[in-house]
Amino acid sequence: MRPVTHTLAAAVIAVAALSMASCAPVRVNASLERGMDFTQYKSFTWATDDKFSTGDPRLDNNEFFEHRLRANVERALTARGFERASESTAQLVVHYHANVQQKIDVNALDRKYGYCEECHSSIYDAGTITIDFVDAHTNRLVWRGWSEGTLEGIDHQDLIEARVDEAVSRIMQKLPPRL
Amino acid sequence: MLRFLRWSVVAVFGLTASACATMNVSSHVERGQDFTQYHTWQWAPADALPERDARLDNPFFQDHFQGAVEREFHARGMTQTVSEGDVPDLLVHYHANVSERININHGDQTVGACYDENCDVRVLDNEVGTIMIDVVDGHTNRLVWRGWSQSAIGGVLNNPTRFQNSIQQAVKRMFARFPRSI
Repeated sequence: MRPVTHTLAAAVIAVAALSMASCAPVRVNASLERGMDFTQYKSFTWATDDKFSTGDPRLDNNEFFEHRLRANVERALTARGFERASESTAQLVVHYHANVQQKIDVNALDRKYGYCEECHSSIYDAGTITIDFVDAHTNRLVWRGWSEGTLEGIDHQDLIEARVDEAVSRIMQKLPPRL
Repeated sequence: MLRFLRWSVVAVFGLTASACATMNVSSHVERGQDFTQYHTWQWAPADALPERDARLDNPFFQDHFQGAVEREFHARGMTQTVSEGDVPDLLVHYHANVSERININHGDQTVGACYDENCDVRVLDNEVGTIMIDVVDGHTNRLVWRGWSQSAIGGVLNNPTRFQNSIQQAVKRMFARFPRSI
């Protein structure tokens, strides 16, 4: 009985994730400072927390979310050979920021022309996670990666964790190759 | 497990239907945290959070909200620490604010229960009140549980009976998600 309910639950989550993914495509992007030799950097540290509002009270000062995000970034950086260093010795300072805005998907506008079978407009939470790398000596932004459309499902901890995992891993894949 | 399953199903329907006047309640929890070790609790000093909205977070609200939370902890066999020197196992923060959220009401186009002849979709702009409860481990100072409740406040805040019911319901439903301590 137990494995069955397990699979079923997984299926339900998958369906939920898919139905949400359909209205909010995840877009991942990054930009690198022109002419930057990224191979020179080998160590990082975390910037002191920005206390900006995320735009959603459920995520403001949400330590679960923050720890998940940081752990993912650290894992990805370590896997690429970066070392976590102290504030005074690190070459890169890592900032992150999350922002949530409500968006409207105006699907129903096409109803007259019959483009859609189930024409529904919908409202969704469009979230953006931004990860910034700042050169510790020059204090200049050297790399920025972000993922849009990733923060739906805040009400469901499993979903939001999966989304943070995916977003961070996809952002970090955009990091310039080292050697 | 079954309960979780039912909850997921409800969540899926909730997302597709995006019901408008319902109360949305959920929570996050520190994974793997043993809640059986907690026996005492106390209110944390008020946070200096800027986004308090006086329409929601007023003495009427505070009275009813704090009373409801105290009853929930009491029902779980947890005691509120008395003297200043005692470090409570759990510190409880809360804050309440109001934000604007848009909602779309589809009517029912297939069955024809429309709002007007054209069966237009209605976009509703409503103010949503969020009540948030943060429960922090008093010894490690780490957040172990966060519960929230969101619902439209139109016609609620100016009606003491509805306001009171809505506070009671919010606290009850949030605490229904609080991890068992026994």
